[in-house]
Amino acid sequence: MKESPQARKLEEILRSSQLVAGGFMGYDTRPVSEIIESDCAEVSRLGQTVEQIAERMRLITEKAKQRLGCWTEIDASRRARVDEAKGFLVCPWSHPGRFAKRVTIVTTAATGQTIRWSDLNIHMIAEHCFFEGRGSAFRIEPGELVF
Amino acid sequence: MNIEIELSRALVVFVSAIFTQNILLAYFLGLCPFIGVSREIKTAFGLGLAVIFVMTSTSLLNWLAYHYVLEPLGLHFFRFILFIVIIAAFVQFTEMVVDRFSPVLYQNLGVFLPLITVNCAILGASLFMVIRDYGFIVTIGYGLGSGIGWFLAIIAMAGIRQKLANDRIPRGLQGAGITLIIAGIMALAFTGFTGVLQAR
Amino acid sequence: MVSAVLIPVIVVSSIGAGLAAVLVACEHFIAAYGPCDVNVNNRRTLNVQGGKDLLSVLTAEKIFIPSACGGRGTCGLCKVKVNQGAGPLLPTEEPYLDEDEKKSGVRLSCQVKVRNDLKIEIPDELLAVREYVCRCDQIVDLTHDMKQFRLELREPEKIDYVPGQYIQLLTPAYEKSGEEVYRAYSISSDPAVEGAIELIIRLVPNGICTTYCFEYLDTGDEVRINGPYGDFRLSESDAPIVFIAGGSGMAPIKSMLHHMKNTNNKRSAVYYFGANKVGDLFLVDLMRRFESDLADFRFVPVVAEAEPAESWDGETGLVTEAVERNLKNAPRCEAYLCGSPGMIDAAVSVLQKLGMSDDRIFYDKFA
Repeated sequence: MKESPQARKLEEILRSSQLVAGGFMGYDTRPVSEIIESDCAEVSRLGQTVEQIAERMRLITEKAKQRLGCWTEIDASRRARVDEAKGFLVCPWSHPGRFAKRVTIVTTAATGQTIRWSDLNIHMIAEHCFFEGRGSAFRIEPGELVF
Repeated sequence: MNIEIELSRALVVFVSAIFTQNILLAYFLGLCPFIGVSREIKTAFGLGLAVIFVMTSTSLLNWLAYHYVLEPLGLHFFRFILFIVIIAAFVQFTEMVVDRFSPVLYQNLGVFLPLITVNCAILGASLFMVIRDYGFIVTIGYGLGSGIGWFLAIIAMAGIRQKLANDRIPRGLQGAGITLIIAGIMALAFTGFTGVLQAR
Repeated sequence: MVSAVLIPVIVVSSIGAGLAAVLVACEHFIAAYGPCDVNVNNRRTLNVQGGKDLLSVLTAEKIFIPSACGGRGTCGLCKVKVNQGAGPLLPTEEPYLDEDEKKSGVRLSCQVKVRNDLKIEIPDELLAVREYVCRCDQIVDLTHDMKQFRLELREPEKIDYVPGQYIQLLTPAYEKSGEEVYRAYSISSDPAVEGAIELIIRLVPNGICTTYCFEYLDTGDEVRINGPYGDFRLSESDAPIVFIAGGSGMAPIKSMLHHMKNTNNKRSAVYYFGANKVGDLFLVDLMRRFESDLADFRFVPVVAEAEPAESWDGETGLVTEAVERNLKNAPRCEAYLCGSPGMIDAAVSVLQKLGMSDDRIFYDKFA
């Protein structure tokens, strides 16, 4: 499908390291629209909306933020911690908005699973339904965020 | 070729291209930017003017290319390629001029300015000109009239959409959906003009 | 037969080529803007080729306007006041400017195209910013994720800075990042030491610059920086000082403490240094030396989660909790904060709770 210059520019930014090291696409060669569609479908399949997922992530980040980098319990089997760096990130889509370089790390004691996300991820999931390409450092499978 | 006959024919074609044979509302050509840029009157105005400019000029350039290059060499079948090449080059030129003299309009039009190239109304006008075997002066009337007709249609649509901006439209129909319905109603209204002129 | 194929091909190709030539000629005349004069602050006039955006033009002339989005018009940092010659405001700039800014002619320099002579105004400090070519001549491990880098200034050989200011380090394109990127780091060295500066950098997971500094930068390598930037500095008053900074936030504080020692500043000061674990503490010996060298300085490391085996007998918990517990004369003090946005927010609210007014709280706003 012919892409508008805006879509092409977006794809270029997502693949480059201009905003984050390694870009947002990992080794995924699919076009952005396809990635977004398939992740959106997965979210619906799990019976949720991206707003619900993003809200849950936001609440966890808020709670963990208070502890300034120390672990905090978020439910019976999970702990979360927030790691912050100075500076900010802008969203690859062209609209205003700055996002703190805040990474929330959540571990599940029972399975040993660790997931992490940045403030920018929360925004991209809520507004653009973008979970990042496969193989990207901050890609999260929609299924991992439903709990 | 009697100049007077040509001029009167050009006038008839000019008027019919705007009303009875409106290239957008009667032939449904050039719908993509029509839907995309008709949200605001200001931008629609700018795009409409650009389309008039491109349509008139390319119809003439294509007439010259067809009658002085393709016909003598018997290469009529190449008209599709040649017309598109000329249109593409001309639109590039138009882009440069718009960017130079009105950067705000250039920004507002965004992707739709280069998209004029593949606006089927532009190519359509040139092809109709060939099919109906219009002379040079008639082509001027036709190109200008088609452009103005398209301009009129998009301005009318922008006016209607601006008025609708605050109305509650069902979610599924918002955007392109309601625009196409309005276009259809406008087309119906314009069929009221048939019979006013017998254009040939 | 052959000619039947050849002729059309030649005809169409030559028409195409002819049109392309015409377009190139048109571009030359229409899109060319000729030389333009850009008057900066009535102090410097740049003579540049028109046609590019103002931000690239200024950067090419070594005037470094802050920018984080690579000129796409999404970060809103590259604001410049254009007094003359700007042209109409573009829709891409609107969301980033408030009414006052629009009235006074503030524009996003990455969106303003230089088409004619311009008169612009930028903060004077930006005119003082220079680019420096340095050589990294020492890398010291401070903790498992913190390193101190010493950069010897090669050209020019001196940098004039106020303790508390920062520089921007140019990360070149390398294996993990295709483009050059600038990142800001506070200067941590002793201002009295000329010819070199030091930076304290913490490794950020997947950070473009920190990954480069930790995994690719070696002693002897060339490093480019520009600066100095920033308004974060000690005030002239003699109110007691409260420093709150954790991790790499120590950098500007360290520079300030060196300066206080050099100038025999007698202000009373206490530094609350927050760390998650005992292993995250560093340069403690240096801080203890400052305690004996300065008139009235106390270093208070605060460890959030100390292991019993480490027998930590200092303050525990979050640094903001330690401040709340121990700070008694908040309304009289001035606070200097450096750290992540989260820590700064928490510290500011604790200080406000203790009665400190906002105009006595200073922090390094990188975000």
